[in-house]
Amino acid sequence: MTRTATVFVVDDDDAVRSSLRLLLKSVGLPTVAYASAQEFLAAWHEEQAGCLVLDVRMPGMSGLELQSELNQRGAIIPVIFISGHGDIPMAVEAIQHGAFDFLQKPFRDQDLIDRVQRALASDVEQRKVLLQRETLRQRFDSLTPREQEVLALVTQGKANKVMAGDLGVSQRTVEIHRARVMEKMGAHSLAQLVRMVLELESDPAQDRTI
Amino acid sequence: MSPTPDLTTPKQPELQALLDATVDAVIIIDSRGIIESFNRSGERLLGFTANEVIGRNVSMLMTDTDRRSHDRYMSRYMTSGVPHIIGIGREVEARRKDGSIFPVFLSVGQIHGADPPRFVGLLHDITLRREAMRAIRHERDRANMYLEMAQVILLALSPDRRVQLINRKGCETLGRREMELLGRDWLEIAVPQDQRDTVLKELSTIASGQSGEERYFEHEVLAADGSRRLVAWRCIALRNAREQLTGYFASGEDITASRQAALEAQQTQQRMTQVSRLATMGEMAAGIAHELNQPLAAIANYANAALRLAVTLEVEKLDKDGDIKLALDQISQQALRAGEIIRRLRALVQNRETHLEPANLNDLVAEVIGFVAGDARLNEVKLLTTYDLALPAAMLDRIQVQQIALNLLRNAIEALVEHRNADREVRIVTSRRDNMLQLEIADNGPGVPSELINRIFDPFCTTKVTGTGLGLAISRTIAEAHHGKLIYERAPQGGARFLLTLPISGERK
Repeated sequence: MTRTATVFVVDDDDAVRSSLRLLLKSVGLPTVAYASAQEFLAAWHEEQAGCLVLDVRMPGMSGLELQSELNQRGAIIPVIFISGHGDIPMAVEAIQHGAFDFLQKPFRDQDLIDRVQRALASDVEQRKVLLQRETLRQRFDSLTPREQEVLALVTQGKANKVMAGDLGVSQRTVEIHRARVMEKMGAHSLAQLVRMVLELESDPAQDRTI
Repeated sequence: MSPTPDLTTPKQPELQALLDATVDAVIIIDSRGIIESFNRSGERLLGFTANEVIGRNVSMLMTDTDRRSHDRYMSRYMTSGVPHIIGIGREVEARRKDGSIFPVFLSVGQIHGADPPRFVGLLHDITLRREAMRAIRHERDRANMYLEMAQVILLALSPDRRVQLINRKGCETLGRREMELLGRDWLEIAVPQDQRDTVLKELSTIASGQSGEERYFEHEVLAADGSRRLVAWRCIALRNAREQLTGYFASGEDITASRQAALEAQQTQQRMTQVSRLATMGEMAAGIAHELNQPLAAIANYANAALRLAVTLEVEKLDKDGDIKLALDQISQQALRAGEIIRRLRALVQNRETHLEPANLNDLVAEVIGFVAGDARLNEVKLLTTYDLALPAAMLDRIQVQQIALNLLRNAIEALVEHRNADREVRIVTSRRDNMLQLEIADNGPGVPSELINRIFDPFCTTKVTGTGLGLAISRTIAEAHHGKLIYERAPQGGARFLLTLPISGERK
């Protein structure tokens, strides 16, 4: 499984699929095409960066069903729908479920390429955020239980003296814990530390509480 | 049975034999009405023996009513000598011994030479004849009733087609009284000129055909008020015992209404077929759209991929004029254009919301003229345009407004094609009136037939064999959805003239 950002094309129409691959290849975008949603799901891995160009109507699992399946699996891959039917309710539903964009067949090549490039950029951005969040998570996990307690109290804005009282330790001990927390989390200021905690709390995939 | 006694005058044996043989009662009375002679049949008919009646007044054989008249007649005849019954005969009633009454025909003769005069009366029993008469009358009344009650026309004609019988229904259908019709030539009084040959032909076929053979035919009859009714006839020839034609008998059903209903049902059916054809077209357009958009997308993609590859491979070094690039670019453009046509086709057959956007009416009209220009040239129709170049952009649904313009232009061209005219022209004029735009499309064809003027915007009203009758109806609906108007008027030079007015703001005035 390559880490290179890849454009995935899922369309049951051979000509559409092959022409899309050729078009995307002509602008230097690595492309993999699948004839059905099931084939794509079998090959897909959530760590794979890229975007998905997805036909709405397909036999078996439809494009909208694949989108819903990916959503359930917590996938972040941006989806660009393409449809030969061009019906508005379908487009609305797709967008409501988080589709990146919607194009009617036939489309201008530049319209598709622009959208694919934006989708790829969005994917990169999303993955960067995820990576940061993951790093933070790892740093947070490296804290001892006592240090996690101190972190929580610090971000609540409590003074060292108050924390010492709350935790039943000396003010000096609190100061040592606090320095360790700042160091382990890689924070240079209290403000930065607070932002990190907020970031951890906003992670939708995160069910653990700080 | 005792021999008839003869108390007064001796009779010749021949006379006696005659009296005994006759089936009628023979009674001889004197001038006072006293019975002198009473024959065997008298005994049989009246139940009295001769002995019981002779010497008694004849009134004992009469009912009370007849008795009074009898006395009056007798005394009048005796004084004035004017006979009331002698030599004429009369139907009277006789009373039997058991009191029962029965009808008889009474003939009376005076026995000449006797003074005072004597009379002979003959009573002929007419009970059977009465009953037969009554039965016949009853049958006739019943037949008449059937005739009158019948909800079909019943008609009897003589061999020379004179009306011999016509029932109430027949009179009602023709709006005439029976007396106006009886004896009249049926063809002259009830059959329109243009139908007479048909009727004559049918009647002669019937006349030459087999006896009792029924023939079915339809023709219109002419009522007194000049209106026509369509009647379905079943007709037979009437013949005598020697198979000679004695007339015709026909029953006719007024099928004007049912035929009209059938015709309307058929027309409704045709309209429904057209509507469902349109609906099917809509479904087909949706299906075709998907099927065609797939290959069109592929064509555009392939062409664009090739175009980009050409750039990468520096094909321009070999393709100095840029022909390959142009060709590939056009392939892609035309595929997109085809996709756009499909999109419009779908929009046309779909009932969709009006989508207003700023547009210039001149541009929309010019584009539509492009669609019909070829057609116009082919049919030698000149399209004369006068654009008001100062027209502002207006809020319009481009496709819908173009649909109206296309409709009006096609109608104009078709009207001119059917109309043999040396200079076929359609004038197309755009103009502004206050806050409204106006598009005028006028032709110098025959114009809308006057009987259709009030209906041309109705759905399914069409003069074209292949038309759906929906064009103008849809056009007016679209105009109204724009808070505008589409009206028809007769052009000053003859021909049809349609005026479309649309508010510039797209809003109600």
